[in-house]
Amino acid sequence: MSATLPDNDGLLILPRLRIQNANAISSPFTHGFPAITAFIGLMWALERKLAEQQLPLIFNSVGVICHDFAEQTQPGYVQTFRLTRNPLNQRGEPPAIVEHGRMHLTLTLVFGVSGGFVELDANARHQLAECVAEQLSCMRVAGGSVLPAAEPRPGGRRQQPWLEVLSQDSQERANSFRRLRRQWLPGFALVSRDDLLTSHLHTLRQHTPDTSVLDAWLDLSRFNWRPAERDNHGKVIWRHDRPAGTGWLVPIPVGYAALGELHPPGSVRDARDTNTPFRFVEGLYSLGQWISPHRLERPEQLLWFADSQPEAGHYRCRNAFADTPAGALSV
Amino acid sequence: MAPSVPVFRSAIAAFIEERLAAKLAKLDADDPKCAALREQYQYLTWLDDAARRVRQIQLVTHTLKPIHPDARGSNLYAPPSTLADYPELGSHALAGMHADDVVGNAAALDVYKLLKLQIDGRSLLDWLRDGHPDAVAALSDDADDAHTLAEAFVGIAQPRAGGPASHTYAKQVFWLVGDDPLDDGQYHLLSPLYPSSLAHALFAVLNEHRYGEANKLAREALRARRDHDQPFYSYPSLAVQKLGGSKPQNISQLNSERGGNNYLLSSLPPIWKSHKVRPPTGASVFDLFGRHDDVRRLVHGLRHFLESSAPDRADGDAPGPKNNRHTRDIRDRYYADLIDELVLFGEELQEQLPANWSAHADCVLHEAEQLWLDPYRCETDPKFCASWMAMDWPAEVGQRFANWLNKQLAQHLPLGEVEMRHWRKELLVDERLDGWARHLHRQRREQDAPAYIPTRAATREAT
Repeated sequence: MSATLPDNDGLLILPRLRIQNANAISSPFTHGFPAITAFIGLMWALERKLAEQQLPLIFNSVGVICHDFAEQTQPGYVQTFRLTRNPLNQRGEPPAIVEHGRMHLTLTLVFGVSGGFVELDANARHQLAECVAEQLSCMRVAGGSVLPAAEPRPGGRRQQPWLEVLSQDSQERANSFRRLRRQWLPGFALVSRDDLLTSHLHTLRQHTPDTSVLDAWLDLSRFNWRPAERDNHGKVIWRHDRPAGTGWLVPIPVGYAALGELHPPGSVRDARDTNTPFRFVEGLYSLGQWISPHRLERPEQLLWFADSQPEAGHYRCRNAFADTPAGALSV
Repeated sequence: MAPSVPVFRSAIAAFIEERLAAKLAKLDADDPKCAALREQYQYLTWLDDAARRVRQIQLVTHTLKPIHPDARGSNLYAPPSTLADYPELGSHALAGMHADDVVGNAAALDVYKLLKLQIDGRSLLDWLRDGHPDAVAALSDDADDAHTLAEAFVGIAQPRAGGPASHTYAKQVFWLVGDDPLDDGQYHLLSPLYPSSLAHALFAVLNEHRYGEANKLAREALRARRDHDQPFYSYPSLAVQKLGGSKPQNISQLNSERGGNNYLLSSLPPIWKSHKVRPPTGASVFDLFGRHDDVRRLVHGLRHFLESSAPDRADGDAPGPKNNRHTRDIRDRYYADLIDELVLFGEELQEQLPANWSAHADCVLHEAEQLWLDPYRCETDPKFCASWMAMDWPAEVGQRFANWLNKQLAQHLPLGEVEMRHWRKELLVDERLDGWARHLHRQRREQDAPAYIPTRAATREAT
């Protein structure tokens, strides 16, 4: 696994999946959308499930577009989660209360794939996509279950799973992506803005040298309102200082960092598996941006992939949106 | 100049005295328990007992119980200085300023309080950890005893005996470190713990901004639209989660200090349906469409582009950019972006207006636009449905879009480019099986609807 996006021969699109009770608490510090690690994990699990069927498909990366959501929270000055009452334990006592955040989602998943499918005709590719969709419908997506597809929507917007072969020609590739992304409207794709965290930290340190990543991250996770100018009536207009063109910026978990050495398989009591090396880790946080798919120019801007550096104790998900910024934020 | 033995000793003695006094205050002076307590709170006796009880608690930075209160497994002491420095946010960001947490038997927390005792700007634990001779010597007159005690106290940060352990209720995720997800040997099992020290630093900021006086004053100034010298910090859709229910002290010491409150910042996506949509009143929706900010920006950009580049009149061309591939690419991008906006605009009306809105007597909208924007009317209006199925409307909408755009561009657009596009594709996207038209047809058939509704296939053959 590398720090760059693997090459894709095609995109496998599972449009408008309805997910019920997905995990809304994505980390100890964030809520409102499942962690991107959950979708990377789903991709691995999917490929394992499909292994028996010997499909000519290799999954490299995954993109997520959210069309609709309903988080199960109680509104208020701060939100709280609606709790469920759980069955009593073996001793007949109510179990410890663990607050699980849940949310319903309508998602389009876009997998970056490679493999022998490029040789197949459109019909066979369609069948392949159907097969993947069927497999996925019995899996958990970010802890939630997949509901049967909704009724077709007017205008016949594409709701069938689809496997699109990406042309080697960059112009043709861009054109076909343009047609695809229109089908993902209305919706918002989650992309990475690691670049903003780094540059903002740099900016803040010029004034305050001991600024930490925590300060920079929080500063971009909130709105800092300051008095700006006076209107005609002498009232003060307050403005926030979000960087221009960053749109809907959100704090997100992006992976894990080791808290110590890797324990050999079987050496940790009560591990889920005794044949796999075990490591205690903590979450790593960065910034993401919700962006309308029609602002994306290339599939690479949408797709997330795993970047594992076990020697460095670094396990994370990456997305190359910021590496290909041309035109994405302006025409 | 480090503090001397008497300084350490008097600080420790004062700590013990204070605790004894608090206990005695709850009893009558002649209560027989008083004597026993005084015995128990003798300097050496208390320290010996504390050294025994210290094993019941552990100094940590990362805890397991916030993941699940019934989870039993390793908690870790991994202070920032031992962690790698990554560009992302993690506990490493707290270098030099982290707060330690304590887990274990809450009844032994007084021992931790002793070790946190500040002497000359550092905690007793720090002095002992450095093996400072005066600090060690202060524990007991007997050098061996003093060393044994010091060792026991310093052990508070050591991992518990029995080796590393996880638990059924702990989070454990498989992470692929190679490139073949089918190979079981290429995974690591990662178990994320709760970063209690980092959570504490985050909580301090969020709680101050939520309840602090400074932010309250700033908010009042913002509401009153007054000048103010402090910014107002707001956290959209901030949520709060309770850890440990009514007994936050069962989770950890720092969790107890936070009252069991854990703030969660929002990663919620934007809500697309933001503004209320009303049925269009004119004969065409394109003027309405043109008023959207993004559309206005695109039209302006396109006009500017078409007018800007150097005119090449040598061969009698009209003014404007050269008709080369580069020009076409840029122009096509503008077209495509405008069509994206049109699709979004159409979607908004289709999804938000009640079906049949175009059937209202006041509606003067052009028929093609009605068919485009009120598709659900097909479900109840057979004549409307027949026109929809006949599929003349996408091209007509395309033509109307082209006319509108040409007007906006003051005729700078080479006519014919836009209406040549395949509007069926642009507006319908999916021409394949099981699209909405097919669904509609099936539904009609099931309802035993009149047979004159042409199928999509029949329509295609006819055209």
